[in-house]
Amino acid sequence: MTVVPLFELRGISKEFPGVKALDDVSFEIRAGEVHMLVGENGAGKSTLMKILCGAYRADRGSFFNNGEPVTIHDSTAARKFGIAVIFQDFTLVPYLDIAQNIFLGREFSSRLPGFIDRRRIHAEAKRVLDMIGFDIDPRMPVHGLGVAQQQMVEIAKALSQDARILVMDEPTAALSDRETELLFAMIARLKKNGVAIIYISHRLSEVFALGDRITVLRDGSNIASLLPAETTPDQLVTLMVGRPVDTTYTRPSRPTPGAVVLDVKNLSGPSGFSDINLTVRAGEIVGLSGLVGSGRTEVARAIFGADRVTAGEIRLFGEPIGGSTEISALRGMALIPENRKTQGLALARSVGDNIVLAGLRKLFPSGFFFPGRAMKAARAIIEKLRIATPTLRRPVATLSGGNQQKVVVGKWLNADARFYIFDEPTRGIDVGAKAEIFRLLDGLVHNGAAILMISSEQIEIVHICDRAYVMRSGRIVGELAHHELTEANIVRLGIHQ
Amino acid sequence: MSTRGFSLAALPVARVPGVAIVLVVLCAGFGVTSPGFATPANIANILTQSTILLLLALPMTVIIMTEGLDLSIGAVLTFASIVLAVTVIATGSPTLAFLAALGVGLCFGLGNGVLIAVFDIPPFITTLGTLGIAQGLSLLVTDGQSVVGIPRSIEQIYSGTAAGIPFPIIIAALAYFITHALLYHTRFGTYVFALGGNREALRVAGISVRGMLIRVYVFGGLMAGFAALLMTARLNSAHPTAGIGMEFDAIAAVAVGGTSFERGNGWLLGTLLGVIAVGVLRNGLNLLAVPSSVQVACIGALVIVALFIDGMRAER
Repeated sequence: MTVVPLFELRGISKEFPGVKALDDVSFEIRAGEVHMLVGENGAGKSTLMKILCGAYRADRGSFFNNGEPVTIHDSTAARKFGIAVIFQDFTLVPYLDIAQNIFLGREFSSRLPGFIDRRRIHAEAKRVLDMIGFDIDPRMPVHGLGVAQQQMVEIAKALSQDARILVMDEPTAALSDRETELLFAMIARLKKNGVAIIYISHRLSEVFALGDRITVLRDGSNIASLLPAETTPDQLVTLMVGRPVDTTYTRPSRPTPGAVVLDVKNLSGPSGFSDINLTVRAGEIVGLSGLVGSGRTEVARAIFGADRVTAGEIRLFGEPIGGSTEISALRGMALIPENRKTQGLALARSVGDNIVLAGLRKLFPSGFFFPGRAMKAARAIIEKLRIATPTLRRPVATLSGGNQQKVVVGKWLNADARFYIFDEPTRGIDVGAKAEIFRLLDGLVHNGAAILMISSEQIEIVHICDRAYVMRSGRIVGELAHHELTEANIVRLGIHQ
Repeated sequence: MSTRGFSLAALPVARVPGVAIVLVVLCAGFGVTSPGFATPANIANILTQSTILLLLALPMTVIIMTEGLDLSIGAVLTFASIVLAVTVIATGSPTLAFLAALGVGLCFGLGNGVLIAVFDIPPFITTLGTLGIAQGLSLLVTDGQSVVGIPRSIEQIYSGTAAGIPFPIIIAALAYFITHALLYHTRFGTYVFALGGNREALRVAGISVRGMLIRVYVFGGLMAGFAALLMTARLNSAHPTAGIGMEFDAIAAVAVGGTSFERGNGWLLGTLLGVIAVGVLRNGLNLLAVPSSVQVACIGALVIVALFIDGMRAER
């Protein structure tokens, strides 16, 4: 059967410095279908969607609108073809009402110049909201709405601009079960109206429940185009993860694990995790895996004392801690956050300043700052971690991602940390520098430190960790010993079945 | 959640009591302590004296809603007042003088807006700079002296009445309704909410963020020009230090009124109540013969108390 697709991308390639993000990828979307786009983190899904909506320009490839060749230079062009993305960080104005948000920039004029026709805006908004079956007063201000409702407003906004193709990137990530049901009902309604939906998801249950077709991306290439009825979840997982092993890093032999450094018992907290039990021993790298949003970062923050805990116990070197980041840091714990630029570094300050930041109390017990002593300490760290910087005085912002990450680690090394939590240590770091980061972790454990490492990339966990915990929906759903540590096992445990 | 009207939908309901409670407590307190407070003549006096502050606090609300600030507004008022007085003495034309005052406001507003929107200089720094410039020009032109000898026609704008209502109150009421219409019933107002709430949303909608920001500060400058007319009429002269500290009162009134400095969460009626609260406080302290230096401290305390009440309510 030959159906002219609503929109088609053919032979799309896109390269970023050092990374081939997309290699000859083709993708088509038909009216009234839900097209699931699946693949591991870094497979190229987001890049492909950004090219579709005009945020990135493809290096090579062509676009077809209803079979006619077209070009997409920017987001305006994409909008002209009816392509709309439901952003995760919503483009809503909190203290305007729903209707004003839907028609922001396209207000209906009243007879007086510059004045707006409120009544018409509300009536039109009501019409759009009815169309998607969202029963809410369009005069409600947006700031009082929950995430799910805001998402609905975003969808209404897109549809009011005559969108024919909606891109939804993990739309259920922040939704409750009930809200998810409502979203699915709305998607069914949109389909009936001929709207096409590109749906990115990591949840297998959604992929099979919702999808009319499935496209699998892996390492920037099309791997398969499937029909859900002819595919099993296991086949899909295999297609998603089945790739040759990354050879840039070989795991050295590790020391025999020593004493228990971190011991967490029955930890629960209001930020969305419960009954967490885990241990980390000296000389050990333990993975904490699971999907984005499964509660990994929240657990890490709670262990470090940055978030509140409602039940359970955290022991570091046998002594109970918790609730205070200062105490955690003083006792030798370090948290290397996911977003080093906003949470781990003073970007405008020099490499030297950043390195001594967490160890000031140790270096300068008198409270007075001596530049010579600080520089000496910083130089020792730079040498130890082989941070590539011309001088100590270079602002951290000018360093590469890998070297910035080393500065964050150096900061804690200087503060005599012996237990490290790494949250996505390789995020935003190019492939070559990743191996360098892994060697850095190796070095730390060889010197007797213990590491808890969070990563969304299963292959990293498999490569580096001695064992791993897998989280799902705020709980640890399994522990994988070293011989059980495979990508397929992690994915199977972590994904909603 | 209120659904009765358009402007009510944008109203941060939880904040109403902060300023209302403060106003009621102040009135009750002064009513008990000073016999002269709760008289019709004194209440009319409070309202009349609050008009100049209201003309500054209205645009200040709009500016603060865009996560901005205008420290220059009092100094611009002063300079516009001096230009007005000098012009009317030189030409004898009150109309021309008024237009000159508006011109001064327009220039400073445009200058502030362009520096902030186009050159990305933070509003605090920009308007601190233009505050200095306007204040310096005022002292330069007058050599530190008052400008006197302006015609009675100007003075009557402050002292005159229509149907028994003082002119300043009519002007202030008009200014309030115009600002209300601008904020809640025009595109400009809609985009003011977005400038503070989510600039990215404006950009995505294809609206010029810079253009809107410039307009916001021009509005502030023009209102300072209007306020200069009332100020000159009230003093029957222009004085180079007349507007010093008025930006403080204006920002205080906006803060007392419950407008937040973040996310475009503003409330114009709150500003009106905040202005009256500041006026009541000053008037009541005057009646109690409290020196003006202490009055400034009391206004500072008023801001903290009002925001404390709002904060307590938000906690729950």
